[in-house]
Amino acid sequence: MILVNYVVAAVVFSLGVYTILTRRNLLKIVMGLSLMESAGYVLLISMAYRRGSTAPVLLKPPPGETERSLARGNVADPVLQNIALTAVVIGVAVTAVLLTTVVRVAQHYRSLDADDVRGLRG
Amino acid sequence: MSLTGDAALLPVAVVAPITGAVLAPVLGRLSGRLALACSLVAMAVSALVLVSVAGTTYGGRVVVEHIGNWRPVHGTQLGVTFAADPFGLTFALLAAVIGAVLLLFTASELGDLGGRELGGFASLMQLLLAALIASGLTADILNLFVWFEVAALASYGLTAFFLERPIALEAAFKTMVLTNMAAFYVFVAIAVTYAGHGALNVGQVRAALGADPRSADLVALGLVVAGFGTKAGLVPFHGWLPDAHTAAPGPVSALFSGLMVNLGVLGIARFVTVTHALHRGQVMVLLTVVGGLSAVVGALMALVQDDLKRLLAYDTVSQMGVLVAALGVGTPESLTGMVYQLVNHALFKTLLFLCAGAIVHATGMTRLSEMGGLARHRPLVTVAFVVGVAAISGVPPMNGYVSLGLIHHAVETGHPVLLVALTLAQVVTVAALARATYLAFFRRRDDDYDRIEKPSVGMVVSFAVLAGGCVAFGALPGLVLDHLARPAASSLTAGGAYARAVLHYGGRLPLPEATFVYLDPMQLLVIGGTILPGLLLAARVVRHPGPRLMRPLQALHTGGVNDYATYAVLGAVVCVFGLVLT
Amino acid sequence: MSEPAPERELHGREPMHRPWLGALAAGGVLVGLVVAFADLPDETAALPAIARRAMVQTLPKFRTTEPVSAVVYGFRAMDTFGETFLLLAAVVSVVVLTRTREPRRGFVGEERAGEEEQRRVDRGGSDEGSRTAREAEAEEEGLGDAPATPDDEPLATPAPERAEAMTVVTRTAVRVVLPLLAVAGCYLVSQGYSPGGGFPAGAVALGLVLLVHTAFGYRRIAPVVRPVVMEAVETVGALAIIVALLLGIPFAGSFAASWVPLAPEQTLRSGGILQVFSVSELVEVGSGLVIVVFALIGMRHDWAPDPESDGSEDDR
Repeated sequence: MILVNYVVAAVVFSLGVYTILTRRNLLKIVMGLSLMESAGYVLLISMAYRRGSTAPVLLKPPPGETERSLARGNVADPVLQNIALTAVVIGVAVTAVLLTTVVRVAQHYRSLDADDVRGLRG
Repeated sequence: MSLTGDAALLPVAVVAPITGAVLAPVLGRLSGRLALACSLVAMAVSALVLVSVAGTTYGGRVVVEHIGNWRPVHGTQLGVTFAADPFGLTFALLAAVIGAVLLLFTASELGDLGGRELGGFASLMQLLLAALIASGLTADILNLFVWFEVAALASYGLTAFFLERPIALEAAFKTMVLTNMAAFYVFVAIAVTYAGHGALNVGQVRAALGADPRSADLVALGLVVAGFGTKAGLVPFHGWLPDAHTAAPGPVSALFSGLMVNLGVLGIARFVTVTHALHRGQVMVLLTVVGGLSAVVGALMALVQDDLKRLLAYDTVSQMGVLVAALGVGTPESLTGMVYQLVNHALFKTLLFLCAGAIVHATGMTRLSEMGGLARHRPLVTVAFVVGVAAISGVPPMNGYVSLGLIHHAVETGHPVLLVALTLAQVVTVAALARATYLAFFRRRDDDYDRIEKPSVGMVVSFAVLAGGCVAFGALPGLVLDHLARPAASSLTAGGAYARAVLHYGGRLPLPEATFVYLDPMQLLVIGGTILPGLLLAARVVRHPGPRLMRPLQALHTGGVNDYATYAVLGAVVCVFGLVLT
Repeated sequence: MSEPAPERELHGREPMHRPWLGALAAGGVLVGLVVAFADLPDETAALPAIARRAMVQTLPKFRTTEPVSAVVYGFRAMDTFGETFLLLAAVVSVVVLTRTREPRRGFVGEERAGEEEQRRVDRGGSDEGSRTAREAEAEEEGLGDAPATPDDEPLATPAPERAEAMTVVTRTAVRVVLPLLAVAGCYLVSQGYSPGGGFPAGAVALGLVLLVHTAFGYRRIAPVVRPVVMEAVETVGALAIIVALLLGIPFAGSFAASWVPLAPEQTLRSGGILQVFSVSELVEVGSGLVIVVFALIGMRHDWAPDPESDGSEDDR
């Protein structure tokens, strides 16, 4: 395992959490969520790695190997790449809706400070 | 139709509402009501498919469909598997049927809104319902996560639907931040599970986990409880729930409280069943603690609310706490009671929220302190509301009596602290709802309402169906127990059999033992013992509003997204370390 | 055009919300995650059985050389099906959030509740914030007489840029690059060599539209990105996906089964149902993303009850 990658993923995830908990600007809170997302991508790709592996593509195998032997050889994990694609699409979708909501909130409350956006409490 | 024929059509139950959702914006440009009518057709198709497998499933079999014909090989499954087990099918049927009722209500109450916005509304509702149905049917943890996210995204758009209300947008933002954090927890948990065991199918995960827990798996379980707990609205992850359920339109709040919060309970139940062999004792204690805490805090906060929908939302928090606590107790009787209560909650909470939504839509008023005397103007809404309140309180002919009785009986033996907490929560719930009923409907109001609209056909039909359901599920407990509640609980008590069935082509699930004596004198005493103090407490709070004892708890709910996120993260950390360190 | 706004005071440090508690909570998350990650199998571990099966079965089952696409669109098609409609949910949510007011019949109680809530918010809000917001909105109006390109403005015109399009250098470069990018995007999705097929190609399509919008101005791209047109395209794409997957039930016995005849690998039609799904995905994702971006750009102030503005055109 690539320890550095995993530690980076954990640190970035925690930084994202810290940003959401302590920053009052709504846009910075959105950025904190983006940080958590990115940590997810780093984590997935790091988990897919195998020592000495090649990419999971069967195109133009190196001389001496057929496509079938490449499929049985040392490759990175394709299922985790599928999961990573899933995460990317989710990230895009969520960020789009979040930014739209922030604009609308700013139009109503005329402020981007989370402490001003507290109509519902108690 | 042969068994295999039925199974292949299972995905159609999900595809039908999705097709409706794709067509809705286009149809909305022609007419809003046309989009909603098409959505009713889609939900009917979906319900038909689900009912076609219901006979086999409630008979105790799991109907399995390996999507795309990608079958399991040597106990490993690459493809996605759909499995109609009694618990998941109950969840999906509730979504399909109650979803159709809500769409009917929308068509009649909100049918005068603009065509394009109704098209968007119908589209989002159907996407949400499709996601709920798919979550009930899927037997794959990554697939469950994908449908969880679809439901979340649809809910964001629906919460902020009435753009003229600033609280709608504020609530949408808070919901988004908290639900997204929850989604990331679940995502990390799934990634860690796959990396550790190479399994995505529920049955394969169970086989791979075995008996010896690794720290990674315990962290994953804690994150799952935190993530799905946020969706279910458990304390301390509940900050977004009262805001979202208050600000959303009436039918949408009903959908959230009646159906979407159950997704959290479903997620927790599936994972805890899956990891049965793994550290079962600790996670059950965690669930009872979180459940009991939610039950009490939700009920107490509901007692002091001024906004009717916010009061009902806090009551949802409390009810979800009861469900999760019953799940945590884990005996066959408590699981049967939990499933029964889940169905009942869907029925009566939807009914109550539809009444509240009708009031807001007709009069524009949201605060109990401004309402009053609605019994005279809107007798239908009053009757429906009173039926719902009676159902929650557990008054005998209604459905709450049976399910609450089962749960209390199960908790009596061996969980004294939880019993006290649940009883206290029940008393305070009765008080909160009695106070709401009095203030909104029966209190004398001197000045007349300047605008109050007439009831519509769809509203009458929706109330009739839901109230009728409350009465029917209460008056026929024997039938419901043997043909619905016990089979549904069998998915949870016989988790191993479910897991094996999902890796093969189906299987049988043995029924758990659970009986209910209808006129048990002890039971009647307990119900009376919660209703009477509840009414007295309600009277006291009406006379002296704003009790000082509640101020600290209310001050904790600051309304700021940073604070709610802090509570949620601290709760997640406690869940994770609670499991890892014990 | 007014002078540039006066420089606002930059605070030394932005006030944060209970940093110590946030640090404690984030620290707990960090420790929990490190505990979990330290326990994961290392890089010499064998590939999981299902990953191995995906690699080995891609060629025989789909005759394509891209296992990741085979997993995304073939073996786990239900996940991608959910993904697609997750994106659709986001697109519809953004459209609902950015919509303009439509006429409504009858009395809608929520409008009255909304007015009252807005009154409460305005009372609590500070005057300075409202004034700044109104000034900013006023600045955005009156841009209809902007010059077409910066080449028409006299040299050394002070910032901000008000032209609609960009300079002749940029425009020429875009004219050259655009066909190349379009071909590259089509190649991505058609030859099936890229992991994910339709998704990145949809993003490329969005990139093309945005390039034209930025370089040539909104007027050149407006006929293409009209909501009616884009929504129709997206509906077609989504319905194509649904039909293609549903046809698996009568023809091959299961939803999302592989019923399309397979062609030899590394040709246009290789992969069978993977290609059909991927191309429909391109159409749906590309049009969905275009709708989202242009809805965001064109969002108006219709819903904020501001007596001075009357929903004027935003900056394009």
